[in-house]
Amino acid sequence: MFGSIPLGWLQLKAQKLRLVAAIMGITFAVILIFVQLEFREALFVSAVRYHTAMDYDLAMLSPKTDFMVSSKQFPRSRLYQVPGIDGVESVTAVYMRLVSWRNPVDPANARNILAIGFDPVEPGFERLLSAEQMEAIRIPDQVIFDRRGRDEYGPVRELLDAGQSVSAEINDRRVAIAGMYEVGTSFGLDGGIITSDLNFLRILPTRRKSAIDFGLIKLEPGQDATEIQGRIREAIPQDVLVLTRQEFMDLEIRYWNKTTPIGYIFAFGAIMGLIVGLIIVYQILFADVQDHLQEYATLKAMGYTHGYLRNVVLQEAIILAVLGFVPGMGIAHLVFTKGADATRLPLEMSLESALSVFALTVAMCAGSGMMALRKLRAVDPAEVF
Amino acid sequence: MGSDARITLEDVSYSYGKGALQKQILFDIGARIDGGEIVILTGPSGSGKTTLLTLIGALRSAQKGSVNVLGQELLNAGEKTQIRVRRQIGYIFQSHNLLDSLTIHQNVQMALQLGGIKGRDAKERIATVLQRVGLADHEHKFPGELSGGQKQRAGIARALVNRPAIVLADEPTASLDKQSGRDVVKLIEDLAREDGSAVILVTHDNRILDVADRILHLEDGRMKSLSEVVSEGTSRMLNLLEKHDPQSANYLATFSFALARVAYADSEVSDSERDEMRRILHEVARLEPAEVEFVMELSMMQRRARSGLDNRIMNPALDKVRAEHFLNSLYAMARADGVTTSEELQEILAITAEFGLAEKASSEPD
Repeated sequence: MFGSIPLGWLQLKAQKLRLVAAIMGITFAVILIFVQLEFREALFVSAVRYHTAMDYDLAMLSPKTDFMVSSKQFPRSRLYQVPGIDGVESVTAVYMRLVSWRNPVDPANARNILAIGFDPVEPGFERLLSAEQMEAIRIPDQVIFDRRGRDEYGPVRELLDAGQSVSAEINDRRVAIAGMYEVGTSFGLDGGIITSDLNFLRILPTRRKSAIDFGLIKLEPGQDATEIQGRIREAIPQDVLVLTRQEFMDLEIRYWNKTTPIGYIFAFGAIMGLIVGLIIVYQILFADVQDHLQEYATLKAMGYTHGYLRNVVLQEAIILAVLGFVPGMGIAHLVFTKGADATRLPLEMSLESALSVFALTVAMCAGSGMMALRKLRAVDPAEVF
Repeated sequence: MGSDARITLEDVSYSYGKGALQKQILFDIGARIDGGEIVILTGPSGSGKTTLLTLIGALRSAQKGSVNVLGQELLNAGEKTQIRVRRQIGYIFQSHNLLDSLTIHQNVQMALQLGGIKGRDAKERIATVLQRVGLADHEHKFPGELSGGQKQRAGIARALVNRPAIVLADEPTASLDKQSGRDVVKLIEDLAREDGSAVILVTHDNRILDVADRILHLEDGRMKSLSEVVSEGTSRMLNLLEKHDPQSANYLATFSFALARVAYADSEVSDSERDEMRRILHEVARLEPAEVEFVMELSMMQRRARSGLDNRIMNPALDKVRAEHFLNSLYAMARADGVTTSEELQEILAITAEFGLAEKASSEPD
């Protein structure tokens, strides 16, 4: 093939050291952006683990509840008004509270854990607990433990897997671990236990049975959630919220994203990565344009247009974006694999996020190229003589 | 001179800066350059040569007057017109200005692809032009791997590959030694003549002036005639010689005077005779080659004056007006010391007769 000369690429290639420096800089920026965005994404995914795992169509909660782990109570009677409404199949009262867990092998070590209680005859936890486990928690002081909780809770998983019985002290009450379910950690949550409403109240004797944290509402098959939601709102006083699954999750995500600094910090981190990359690429391209000013002036004198030179610089920007993105994505992938093991957070690179980071990288490089182009305007073809 | 005017300049003026800092660089320049013509533009630094070249090359916008290049008026021309003109011009730069990250082949291709020539056609033309400049074996080297002369030749190949209607060269020999400089100019001359391009070559380098069909001289932004320039330069150099080495000055002057009398006594002097004279001056009189040329030129000047007799050289030059001026000045010179003696009058009459001025200047001065 004997087409047009890829001047941008040839110019980049001619200065190998600078090219390597540029690629490393962009790689670094790409990793930073990936990691920050992915942690942010993991924050949101993990924040709604229980929202996703529980089986319900509508959720009832107190308007004072900001996020799941710090739920405020509301009267259980409110929830029990709902089954009378057309289209509603059943409701489940859910109790939730952070309690203190002592490490079974190292009792001096106490750590908060989320305790969830519900009446095992009511639906909502089928995806989390097996039928046997449902039976097991009916027995006093038996709980089911999240096997994907943090290691600081003790080697519960290992001991149970090895067939040994494990008991631990929760809020100074000894309970037996009757099995394990699987949800995982989030930024506000290190682990959890699920038990019956009665056991929950045994662990937390100050709590009353009539004050619940969440109500799960299951609709008859084929019912429209928003329609029933409206019906429920009309039927009961407005002192509780009735939300669809999506609204319930959005509430949680909004809290972590907006109300806590965490969401902001990760977004900020990603923006920092973008800016670092922007500056690096700008520096490289600026230096490159600076070095080639005389050559560009020559090309202009020969009759090349400003547009041609602009394309050369943009070509360089895009090439840098691609060359920096590929290793950046590889390393970020490695970081996620390691990070997912260490944090139990859902860190994984989706095609979607890879594509959006790639788009960001290209935009970043092109933006830098545009800035470097201002230098190009100064190219005066009369200077060549 | 037919209708093949490639470049026409009329009353071109150009200034840099604005307001109080404005500095005029060119004053009312006029010139016309045809296809196939090689014009050398000389002048001291800062005389405006390069500015004039950039105006012709459409690299700068003309401000005043008319700059017509290849039928395009460049006064107030837009960028599109400028670019169109630039593409029809081959530029040869002082410091080759090749693109360092491209091979010689690719550098030449950069010029060729402007004209939309690609593929096999392009490959052949590049091979041909590199052959012509003697770089066929260096096609795939980078400029950094070539010598100064080779780089300049690559620059020439790039300028000429499109067979441009006009070639503009700015000090193409400035960074080269004498021999490579000579070769490069010869190359430009040969190629331009083959292609029938109009060539403007800016240079300080006196050694290459002889390739020119015409020499344009700029000084302080104004065009000067060649005779003015030569007179000024020569008289300055002679004064210098007189001041620093009066003995040599006398010796050489006497030599040339004598030579003119003896050697040119018979009116015919052939080229072989001149070569013999050069040899004798060098070997017998032990003059340096440059001194030999100087003596030869001085004596030739005297011979030229005398040969006015045979109506070949003087007559066309001395028209009626000039003849009058000539005679008037002779009488004035005679009067310079207050009195016109009879010896002086006699001499004037003798000169008048000898140069055949009497019939030209009909009226006697008062």
